[in-house]
Amino acid sequence: MSTADRPEASPAVPAAGDASLAAGGHVPAPASRPIEVLSAVVALGASALLFQFAGEIELRTETGGIDPRWWPRTLGMVGVALSLALLVVALVRSPSARDDVEAATHSGRIRLAIIAVLTFVYLVVWPTAGFVPATALLLVASTAAFGGRGLRALVVVPAVMTGALYLLFSSLLKVPL
Amino acid sequence: MNAVVEGLTALTDPVAIVGMLIGLLVGTLVGVFPGVTGSMAVALAAGFTLTLEPVQGLAVLLTIYVGANYGDRVPAILVNTPGTPAAIATSLDGYPMAKQGRAGLALVMSSVVTTIGILLSIVLFVLAARPVASFALRFGPAEMFALVIFGLTVMVSISSKSLLKGTLAGIAGLAIATVGRDPITGDARFVFGINDLNSGLPFIAVIIGLFGIAELFDQVLTYRAGKVKPISSLGRWWPQKSEYRQVAKPTAVSSVIGMGVGVVPAAGGDIAGLIGWDRAKRMSKEPEKFGNGSLEGIAGADAAASATLGGALTTTLALGIPGDSVMAVMIGSLIIWGLQPGPSLFSDHPDLIASIAGIMVIATVLSFVISLVRTKGMVRLLDLPNHYLWAAILVFCIVGTYTTSNNLYTVVVMLVAGVVGLAMKRTGFPPGPVVLGLLLGPLAESNLRRALLIDGPSIFLTRPISLTLLALTVLAVVLPVVAHKRRERKAVKEYDDQPPRVGV
Repeated sequence: MSTADRPEASPAVPAAGDASLAAGGHVPAPASRPIEVLSAVVALGASALLFQFAGEIELRTETGGIDPRWWPRTLGMVGVALSLALLVVALVRSPSARDDVEAATHSGRIRLAIIAVLTFVYLVVWPTAGFVPATALLLVASTAAFGGRGLRALVVVPAVMTGALYLLFSSLLKVPL
Repeated sequence: MNAVVEGLTALTDPVAIVGMLIGLLVGTLVGVFPGVTGSMAVALAAGFTLTLEPVQGLAVLLTIYVGANYGDRVPAILVNTPGTPAAIATSLDGYPMAKQGRAGLALVMSSVVTTIGILLSIVLFVLAARPVASFALRFGPAEMFALVIFGLTVMVSISSKSLLKGTLAGIAGLAIATVGRDPITGDARFVFGINDLNSGLPFIAVIIGLFGIAELFDQVLTYRAGKVKPISSLGRWWPQKSEYRQVAKPTAVSSVIGMGVGVVPAAGGDIAGLIGWDRAKRMSKEPEKFGNGSLEGIAGADAAASATLGGALTTTLALGIPGDSVMAVMIGSLIIWGLQPGPSLFSDHPDLIASIAGIMVIATVLSFVISLVRTKGMVRLLDLPNHYLWAAILVFCIVGTYTTSNNLYTVVVMLVAGVVGLAMKRTGFPPGPVVLGLLLGPLAESNLRRALLIDGPSIFLTRPISLTLLALTVLAVVLPVVAHKRRERKAVKEYDDQPPRVGV
């Protein structure tokens, strides 16, 4: 029998996440070699950049040895070594199961993209239009994007929440919004 | 005035009382809504409490911490979905009991053992925290560095399936902590001419991004309409005397387990609950009932998960190393209030320690009372549509982050951290070590550099405490690997020993 046919080790007690699996709603994301390789490459690139930039830190006094460059360079070096190991593992071994990660849905991707755009717009509108209109609009638009419909979801709740936030921060906590 | 009296008197402050009531409400709600974890709620609330006095802010944060420990059992029992990871083991027997028409009994018993677990753990905190802190006062740079590395290693080995990914996440946190001024010489590092970066990345923003926004984005990305409806028939409510007797032993044993797990840096209620459930099963006269609606199973799981709170608090305040992920977030708030968790906290602010113990006891008693009267309303709350919750979390994350600095730059940092956190979650990199690395990075770096300048690398091996801590660090890495290999070999052996299947 090949080892690939053999079962994975099972813990003595149910693993974290099993309970939600039992609930019937959990759809685990499929194992993926490209994701494993990509994450190792990103980690490798980031560690190499850290090492490179650490060497370019300008010091007021060059003392050599254990100076302010030393710690980030050490971290960069260790990061490069670990990322290489992760890359080798990703290329050589079969990709590990992603039981604890829920599979993304098509509608979820669309909703997430909409929320990203709305949040960006909010950050642009807030300084120009002011906190109250910008926040009310964000709440209405995001509730709609998340599937909320009707007068209560799209008018009453956003209005009450915006008012409550303004009162809490501006009036009680004296935060300049 | 006596520090204890002074600390407890501080709790009569009306703002602290209102803070506890708000924390109680938020904590219970946080627990009830699956997916909103205690770490996420405390991270969010941290943004709102920074303008308060430390005791007032802690009243909110600690009460959320306690309240979530009660609320999270409700969905675990009624819809088989743990409200927070600490209630994973609750659902193993809670939901089967609910399906048998014994949901009321499961909910009440869960509240009773949770209260016992938390109160016992607070006794541990009161008795052990000061001696541990006094011992830690002997720590020099070598010991402090070894302690930070030990805490970080334990969090890596606990929070990640992959040691490589967990360690890389820890290194990412340590690297982010180097942005800003060097802790010894004051030289600027990785500032790139941006003024805001001189004081480093705002860690509350990073924490809210990693725990709050990343979790929200992940839920939005993966949402599927639920098929499991809450159980509305709760059945009998109050346990009988024989049932109290039945759960006494697992409650006591699991409480001790929980306190032990809580003291271990970074280990929280999820791990303790599963160990407590397993231990209760092993010593039960009716192990076959476990997983099928055992009251002992509920007691074992919940007593252990709850008893981690006092242990986690002890490690956090006495050593400055977070006892669990909520405590990691809370350390951020304490630092912003000018309170550095660690041995000196006990000598500099003895009254604060009494206030913290007082808040924990009051929060536990209030949560217990609320948990007994609120459950029918909670069942209705479980039907609340996600669009209200998600929109509120999004706005609260943004506004909460903004209030920490009144600067949109902080919000941008939080959103970037959220996107990075989502990518990490989807690729198996745990966020816990990043936060820990970020919070403890300056401590690790300055102590390592000082230790090396004092006596070179040999200092770590010639001083007994640092040597012991480094040995424990090695064990924290090696033991899980060995245990995993053993389980793998056992599983393969069992598979090989099975008789061959004929004809498929």
